[in-house]
Amino acid sequence: MSVQRRCRVLPGLLLLVGSVGAALTPAPTTIRFVDAGAEAGVSLVTWHGRPDKPHLLESGGAGVALFDYDLDGDLDLYVVNGWRLDGAEVVERGANALYQNSGEGVFVDVTEDAGVGDRGWGTAVTVGDIDGDGHPDLFVTNFGSDVLYHNTGGRFEVIEADVGIDGWSSSSVFFDGDGDGDEDLFVTGYIETSLDDVMQAKVGLRWKNTEVMRGPFGFEGLANRYFVNDGAGNFSDATAAAGLDDVGLFYSFGVVATDLDADGLVDLYVANDSNPNYLYRNLGGGQFEEVGLWSGAALDHRGMAQAGMGIATADYDADGLPDLFVTNFADDTCTLYRNLGRMAFEDVSAPAGLVEPTFGPLSWGTVFADFDLDGDLDLFVANGHIYPQADSVASANTSFAQPNHMLEQTDDGFRDVSAEAGPGLEVRQSSRGVAVGDIDNDGDLDLVIANMDAPPSVLRNESARLGEWLAVDASGAVAVEVTAAGHTWRRQRVRGGSYASSSDDRFYFGLGSITGPASLRVRWPDGSVTERTGMALGQIAVVTR
Amino acid sequence: MRKLSVVAILLAVLFMPAWAFAQESPPAMVGTYDALADAILALKEAEADFVRSLLVYHFDAANMQHVLGHPEETAREMALFANEGDNAIAGIRKRLLDGGHHHNAAGEAEGIYERGYVIVTLEAKWAVMKASAAMRQAADEEAVLAAWRDFVEIAGSVLQPEE
Repeated sequence: MSVQRRCRVLPGLLLLVGSVGAALTPAPTTIRFVDAGAEAGVSLVTWHGRPDKPHLLESGGAGVALFDYDLDGDLDLYVVNGWRLDGAEVVERGANALYQNSGEGVFVDVTEDAGVGDRGWGTAVTVGDIDGDGHPDLFVTNFGSDVLYHNTGGRFEVIEADVGIDGWSSSSVFFDGDGDGDEDLFVTGYIETSLDDVMQAKVGLRWKNTEVMRGPFGFEGLANRYFVNDGAGNFSDATAAAGLDDVGLFYSFGVVATDLDADGLVDLYVANDSNPNYLYRNLGGGQFEEVGLWSGAALDHRGMAQAGMGIATADYDADGLPDLFVTNFADDTCTLYRNLGRMAFEDVSAPAGLVEPTFGPLSWGTVFADFDLDGDLDLFVANGHIYPQADSVASANTSFAQPNHMLEQTDDGFRDVSAEAGPGLEVRQSSRGVAVGDIDNDGDLDLVIANMDAPPSVLRNESARLGEWLAVDASGAVAVEVTAAGHTWRRQRVRGGSYASSSDDRFYFGLGSITGPASLRVRWPDGSVTERTGMALGQIAVVTR
Repeated sequence: MRKLSVVAILLAVLFMPAWAFAQESPPAMVGTYDALADAILALKEAEADFVRSLLVYHFDAANMQHVLGHPEETAREMALFANEGDNAIAGIRKRLLDGGHHHNAAGEAEGIYERGYVIVTLEAKWAVMKASAAMRQAADEEAVLAAWRDFVEIAGSVLQPEE
């Protein structure tokens, strides 16, 4: 090749190489979160035992709820608190807190006025309207007696009822299990233990050349329980009658309720630590059958049980069926179960690109949401180890406080964009529960994350928007479809999920480059449908039955 | 209390019968342990036999559902075969493990078994789960038959009597 010809070819070659390189390098993410920190007004430190965590109870942390308790159109925040211990002494019985949203996502503590400052060792919170009066009520699980709060219209009263688990109840969910139109309640139990055990606990399990808390192996599992509502907010135990027995007495953490097989009935999925997960198919008439092992959603692709913690549920691949994403312990992957229909699931974590980013950290709360409004669902995962001793073991190659994960969905699966997603993703805490919601009503979805022995993180979404949005406030609806420019997006009602937390119950749609107007189909529990056409985008549309 | 224990040991040595100084374990205790060993090994064998009968049950149930032309129910029984029973059985297995009864510690160390599995190896479990998923998703009769053939082959080798 002559020098002259080489000179002609080289620039072309470089251009080609450059183009291929650019094609192989993914475009930088537009997802960006900032830590609103003290500016958001949420300063409550939530306590979870002693700094060295000698008992398993001190490892589970707690959750948060985003819900509109005063029906003023913006999301308020409920934060669950535990106890602070020093040796065998209780230093502080932390009170839960309710923060009223004063608009634009700034919160003011109204706990005392609202009467919701329970001082039990709190673990989780779920939201539901137990008597159908339109005011959202709260159920708080504790280590000890759980608490049912009835919202009387901006103030709450404790309902004295035999509901919940007197022990370490770890999560709960309100859902209509028997199809009679009211909110029933499922409560998960973790392990049998007592306050004496907690107070006297000493580290003793060898882990990576150091001693850490014992368990869960060696503890007896605490049975899950299910309570049916008579419609007036009175609950009675129907666990066995409904077929919801905790047959394995597994160590249950997260729970989610949604219709997984598109038969119009709400099914239940329970994440179990170190045991197969449960999947309860709703047969109708208030009856369930446990189908976890044969569904493919109880074990990972190797056929192994994992250490299930939290659950995200949504139709990530837009095929009309909700899928399941389960967070697990460190040195193991989180698992994405793709819904194949008829209660069959397949572990697609590897092809979805989720193995590498999720293998190292210990993961808890998790949510699917379209954070950049590009029309597909991304994943957020809260991380944090259970052993504080991880900080002093160099070979452990991990730490108690861990950065959280933002996993953006692309055409090639999920991509870890945490390092590029702004200062909100630089926060390092030992995180647990997560709730997602539009706290400033600006159309994009924000995050609140519960942290161990620290205040919650309020992460405000400041992503560059890749498209239009539409939100639908349709209390009681089971599903919403939005159609615009020939494209249809579907969201199904999901109750519970994440970890120990409760999220915004409005339906949010990122629409990508589609422009309006849009039409809506809102489906109600009785099968009836409300339709709207000519909807302008960029609004929160309120639809009532 | 400690002084009392020392005195008790001294007295026991002083008044110990002559055979107690012989360098062998008491024959009666040997005999008892021998009988206990028979019971322990018989129990272990009984557990394996029981799990084998559980597998035969799920195999037969799968066969019946297959003959009746119910692929979803067949797939369900296949999955329960792979897991040596349902989650109620898994709960019992967990209780045994927590109590220190581990059937396959050696196998697990070699990556052959999942915790506590008695007969079905991890490899066989994975293969049956795959056949079960294929059965569930079978689009036509040919796919149903292919999944069934796979299952029968693996189940046959799992259920083969031990040499």
